[in-house]
Amino acid sequence: MNRPVIATAFIVAGLAVTWLASVSDESYHWRLPEGEPRPAVPADNPMSDSKIELGRWLFYDTRLSVNDTLACSGCHVQALAFTDGRPRAVGATGELHPRGAMSLVNVAYASRLTWANHLLDRLEDQALTPLFGEVPVEMGMAGRETEILELIRSDDRYRRLFPQAFPTDESPYSILNTVRAIASFVRNIVSFDSAYDRYLAGDAAALSPAAERGMKLFFSERLECFHCHGGFNFTDSSTHVSAIVESVGYHNNGLYNVGNEGRYPDDNTGLYDLTGIPHDMGRFRAPTLRNIAVTAPYMHDGSLPTLDAVIDHYQRGGRNVTSGPYRGDGKRNPYKSVFVREFELSASERQDLLAFLRSLTDESVLTNPAFSNPFE
Amino acid sequence: METSAAGLQLAEQVPILKTIFKHVKYSVLIACTLSMAACSPAGRSLDIPFVARWNGEPVSCSGGPVALTDLRFFVSDVRLGEGDGTPAALQNDGRWQSDRVALIDLEDGQAACRNGSPDMQPVLRLNVSGNPGPGLRFSIGVPEDLNHANPLTAEPPLNYSVMHWHWLSGYKFMRAGIETPDDGFWVHLGSTACSGTIGNIEGCRQPNRPTIHIADFDAGADAVVVDLGRLFAGIDLRDSAATRCMSGPGEDACAPVYEALGLGDAGGIAGVFRRSAR
Repeated sequence: MNRPVIATAFIVAGLAVTWLASVSDESYHWRLPEGEPRPAVPADNPMSDSKIELGRWLFYDTRLSVNDTLACSGCHVQALAFTDGRPRAVGATGELHPRGAMSLVNVAYASRLTWANHLLDRLEDQALTPLFGEVPVEMGMAGRETEILELIRSDDRYRRLFPQAFPTDESPYSILNTVRAIASFVRNIVSFDSAYDRYLAGDAAALSPAAERGMKLFFSERLECFHCHGGFNFTDSSTHVSAIVESVGYHNNGLYNVGNEGRYPDDNTGLYDLTGIPHDMGRFRAPTLRNIAVTAPYMHDGSLPTLDAVIDHYQRGGRNVTSGPYRGDGKRNPYKSVFVREFELSASERQDLLAFLRSLTDESVLTNPAFSNPFE
Repeated sequence: METSAAGLQLAEQVPILKTIFKHVKYSVLIACTLSMAACSPAGRSLDIPFVARWNGEPVSCSGGPVALTDLRFFVSDVRLGEGDGTPAALQNDGRWQSDRVALIDLEDGQAACRNGSPDMQPVLRLNVSGNPGPGLRFSIGVPEDLNHANPLTAEPPLNYSVMHWHWLSGYKFMRAGIETPDDGFWVHLGSTACSGTIGNIEGCRQPNRPTIHIADFDAGADAVVVDLGRLFAGIDLRDSAATRCMSGPGEDACAPVYEALGLGDAGGIAGVFRRSAR
């Protein structure tokens, strides 16, 4: 084939690819209430129903772990807003993860993923860590790519679903397409049907008077909650398709101050683990507060068992660890966010705040059959 | 380079183009091979063996003075001869070596290497011409422009999940570890303290890409010794503490390993990589 022909082929194909990428995304029907922003989707992995369907099976498939015991869903349980109820997650071989499983609800809007990784902004990349990570072992598939390929090439269902999900791909059975499908399923877990959302949409009765008072406290300068947990997704690390600037925030909230030297436990130093920059010590991403009432225990290491304990922590302006190896007063952590400051809160105000936090639960996303285990 | 990468990316998404691209690639490859054969009759294959040692004594997964738990690393930028040397071409075998990176694998998946794999690659395969003279230089690691590319679309040996840090977007340049009856230590060496985002990494404050120079190396008669006793010389192997280094920028346990590899302030510990007669 001569050069001009190839060049023309490239140009035509280039236009086709660009067109396909944008149009597929435009044409995908997000189940969003009017006015809510559409998530940003990587151009090389546009959403489609067949990809989501394939991703759903993969998400719930324990055969993607080294000993066939753990699927993605093992740590991301729908009824718990895709968390697992444990302080720290447990891998397929029983290894304890330093951090807890984060909720996947509305993760499509997260400008960065996981508790503290400024490098990670695509679900397609994130999926590789639970699959192949070794420290700690999560699903334990490092060095076992061929086992995954054998599974998706030989399983009858996957032999049907992979070509449907990737119709223009002459060899659709790949790790790349596996994580693309899982990412598409997870990206589709969107939720805007809490009592608070209905209240915002004009249903004044959706919030109880207590929850309404709690809402005002939440958004007050006295409590400061909204600085880190603000915006439509209750986290400052949010983005969407029409976002003008990408918002990314990491905060030291005074949970630890080991030896009163500003340190955090060695296995959980937050952003510092990746950057080595002193002021990044203990900086973690503020998680969304949507469905927060069903995602106990709290904080990156699950060290606060209840929402009451979380309010205690913030009301004091940091936690005082009075015994054990992590002894130290988090309130005086030199790297602590300026927004974590001691505040007054009466007993009735606390009940109001709790009522508001509970109003952020969206029962539909916890029970929607589209997100449930297809093997059952 | 850029055109070719864009072409590949495009070809990924359009099957017909993929086929065309493949054919173009192959014809270029064939042309190169033919011209090389025609123009450099002196080109010959040269194998450089690598052996694992613990303070000079042989060590393997099944034992020795200590037991090896892992020893795999990438080699790139190979140069032979005196002074700065002359670049030596890697033999691309589609598995252990690409044009630019070779994977050396000195563990056999047995005994203490239970998390490893049975296949080994204790040799670096080069194409050389003439007599390069004494001297061997190489880098441990993956060149920066390949280090942050998507491992799922990389060509071997850069498509091997065990050698990649998925959450850091980069390769484990070296995995090395040993265990004693009551202690042990392992290192995963790679670039850290990176900025940007995965797919758009802007750079890494700690490249951690050691350069090795063995001045008196005779490429025709010597093997490269990898002496883990020297690599871990600064590690206390009787304290049962700090049993690993994952190249974290604030990870104190890494300091002695960095020093040994010449990544610290000093010039490195002599003999971590050295020559030995085959």
